[in-house]
Amino acid sequence: MKRFSLLMRLSAQLGFISACLLTPSLVQAQTPQATPPPPAQPRTVQFPRPVEKTLANGLRVIVIEKVGALVSGQLLIKNGAEADPIELAGLSNMVADLITKGTEKRSATEIAEAVEALGGSLESSARWDSSRVGVSVISSKIGPALEILADVVRRPTFKEEEVERLRQQTIDDLTIELGEPSSIAQYVAARVVFGDTPYAKPMSGTTESITRISRNDIVQFHGRYYRPDHAILVLGGDIKAANAFRLAQQYFGDWKKPASPLPPASATKLNASPGSRVIVVDKPDAGQAAVLVARTGITRRDTDYFTGIVANSVLSGYSGRLNQEIRIKRGLSYGAGSTLDARRETGPFSASTQTKNTTAAVVADLLMHEITRLSTEPVPDVEMVPRKAVVAGNFARNLETAAGLVNQVGSLALHGIGFDEINRYLGNVQGVTAANLQRFAAARLGAKETNIIVVGNAKEFLPALKKQYPQVEVIPVAELDLNTALLRKKQATN
Amino acid sequence: MKLRKPIACSILVMLLLSIAFSPEVQAQGSQVSMPRIKFQDRTLPNGMRVLSAVDNSSPTVAIQVWYHVGSKDDPAGRSGFAHLFEHIMFKATRNMKSEMMDRLTEDVGGFNNAFTNPDVTVYYEVVPSHYLETLLWAEADRLSGLTVDDPNFKSERSVVQEEFRQSYLAPPYGMLEYLIEQQSFVNHPYKRSTIGSIEDLDAASIEDVRAFHKTYYRPDNATLVVAGDFDPRQLNSWVDKYLAPIPKPATALPRVGIKEPERKAERRITHRAANVPLPAIAFTYLTAPERNADAEPLRVAATILSEGESSRLYRSLIYDQQVAQSADAIPDLREDLGLFYFNVILASGKKPEDGERALLAEIKKMQDAPVSAPELDKAKNQLVTNELRQRETSNGKALALGSAAVLLGDPNRVNTDLGKLQSVTAADVQRVMKKYFTDTNRLVITYLPEEVNRKVNTMNRAGGQAQ
Repeated sequence: MKRFSLLMRLSAQLGFISACLLTPSLVQAQTPQATPPPPAQPRTVQFPRPVEKTLANGLRVIVIEKVGALVSGQLLIKNGAEADPIELAGLSNMVADLITKGTEKRSATEIAEAVEALGGSLESSARWDSSRVGVSVISSKIGPALEILADVVRRPTFKEEEVERLRQQTIDDLTIELGEPSSIAQYVAARVVFGDTPYAKPMSGTTESITRISRNDIVQFHGRYYRPDHAILVLGGDIKAANAFRLAQQYFGDWKKPASPLPPASATKLNASPGSRVIVVDKPDAGQAAVLVARTGITRRDTDYFTGIVANSVLSGYSGRLNQEIRIKRGLSYGAGSTLDARRETGPFSASTQTKNTTAAVVADLLMHEITRLSTEPVPDVEMVPRKAVVAGNFARNLETAAGLVNQVGSLALHGIGFDEINRYLGNVQGVTAANLQRFAAARLGAKETNIIVVGNAKEFLPALKKQYPQVEVIPVAELDLNTALLRKKQATN
Repeated sequence: MKLRKPIACSILVMLLLSIAFSPEVQAQGSQVSMPRIKFQDRTLPNGMRVLSAVDNSSPTVAIQVWYHVGSKDDPAGRSGFAHLFEHIMFKATRNMKSEMMDRLTEDVGGFNNAFTNPDVTVYYEVVPSHYLETLLWAEADRLSGLTVDDPNFKSERSVVQEEFRQSYLAPPYGMLEYLIEQQSFVNHPYKRSTIGSIEDLDAASIEDVRAFHKTYYRPDNATLVVAGDFDPRQLNSWVDKYLAPIPKPATALPRVGIKEPERKAERRITHRAANVPLPAIAFTYLTAPERNADAEPLRVAATILSEGESSRLYRSLIYDQQVAQSADAIPDLREDLGLFYFNVILASGKKPEDGERALLAEIKKMQDAPVSAPELDKAKNQLVTNELRQRETSNGKALALGSAAVLLGDPNRVNTDLGKLQSVTAADVQRVMKKYFTDTNRLVITYLPEEVNRKVNTMNRAGGQAQ
């Protein structure tokens, strides 16, 4: 098979290293050499090339051959949590969980036994924009593993008993998750940024929505979205393309395409959040405060996608500005970072960290300050070059394992992006200029539309936070309601 | 295990697996097999061991330095120091200013991190392969000496205290994990949690840093592991140039000699804490250390008990009886002594007694009858496949090699332990279950929410309350 190569000149950053070595703080040489030896000539990276085929029933099958011992397989359904009706938040996730809990020929236990005997496990969950079922096994076991994967996707029975069991488990899981300040902060942020639109809901639901979901809702969701002409099968790793296509035909070829029309593309209307809300969730027993700032970001198909990920990398990562200012310079946290979560529709941009309760207000200011600075000053070259290298390096490492490769290629396919983007990735990253980045940050990541959420023991930081942000709204954790954009159980005045 | 930087959960699990387990080689029948890791093994005149394994499939290289010093070597009154020290190794050295390691790795598209566990401290970097020589120079430089100043030291100490809060105080069951570590041992320094305490961290000084470096950071206490894309002859010449000249001190290396007494009776602890959404229980047992031949049957037992939804604890406690929200069996086998613990979070409406009864019944079943042949095969396939996943990257391969050499005492075990694993029988599993999982060898921790109207300071009560 022909492979294409991507020039990964990860060494292009040498200029910055030399610059940092010329700084005067170096101590007298006592080891054989006081300055690091320069790098040698870089090698090029070979990325495996995806090949694809569409079966007669509309199932798109993509294969990526890669030397190794394992094969990963993933079936993607082109809708996930965003498709949950707002009052049934968590539905898609329950469906993804329940397909592995019984089929026409296997019970829940038999499914687990069969796949675990192969050394693997079925990983099944809903995300934003997709539902995915995956399995990773040694290459000799991929046939039997795919047979089980096809069985659960195509013929789940959704027994009432399994629905009830999962309902109880999900409610317990949520109870535990909401004990964590950072989880609360993320859920509140989604509500603040997205209001009542699809990305606003907690992806795994709330106790109330999970209680409301019926078996019928589950069966309907599965029937509507789990169909071959709305799915993508990705196989990657130690497998020949011809063999992979043969297995796909064998286990998915007779998966009938329903006569009903495809679900319409989700029409997400974003009622643009005005931003600049400051919300404190008072959790007096919090051992640490979670501080998060959030606003709308970009879509995956945005023409400024690469500008966006480079801008995010200037802020995020170990040596990104947020961690520099909050952890490295001031010792205020174990880590700080940001995420530009590009989705089918406009996703969120957020920056977050955790700190002791007494320093929550300081840290909120530092996060906001760095976001502001991104749009008011150009990023200098000595910073831009290494931050681009971080983006390129992460991209290459994500493709190193069979499971990582399949996940990345699956995401490109989901968003309808051509695989030649893999080839152009580095060029696109290098093409981002400081001027573009600054313009992008001002227009799309501005601090003015950014909201602040702090979850912690409010009495330790509220006075300081109020000085800076007099508009702060305080919600006691017992009154927090994630089912509504109002965020409160009872209508309370601020 | 404590890391310099937060990393994704899945990676953490993979790291833990590699430390726990390094099987290998061919297997028969329906069992899965694994390619050998071909490696070179060299010991320099100054005592430093150098292990290397070539893999040119991607133009990157992983460099690791394993120091045989862990939290069990924390100085008196300085719990958490070995881990704090690990953070300080990224500050100024003779020829590098603070955070220069990040300039040499992250800034060129690579990454670095480090972790400390009770027995070892491991530093690792993954970089484009043409930077190998640069990183060998840098590792030699920080082994030769640290020049960190007081402001940098104090700032990093605050970072570690925030790490303590983030790992143990903020998440609902953080203090339960802390208690498992702290309460399972009475004499051996394993009784100090790797993260230490806020107070002991506050007491640590820059003088402690110098003394600790001098005592433990020496070539005869270090193992360099290089895996990935490199030329072995070049590697040897760079090792000769940068690492071989570092002198070996004349002083002896201190080693922990404290013995943990055998447990004579069941011990029970009840701990109440803030932010406990659902009650939990833990059982801990003292077992064989990781070099012992019982290690493989213990790991197979743990896999049969709690790996995946076909495991016994999942099926019984979570699926059938619905008494638990989660149930795990963790073989935390260490260098001096093994720890094996069970961690059960109860389902809502269930009482700790319900969980305890169900867990004890499952342990008893493993003692009363041998596991079935399909169950045994399944566990072996799971263990081998997990290890294969770990070895997909150069850094994972280096971790497997380093842990075999340093923790198991023989790098060849990276290739020979699979044979041992495949020869584990149902009788072996039953034997270790009977030998270690006795009533007198059990510590029971009951972890409950605070009683209403009773104000308790979680941190001050970290030691729990014996009943």
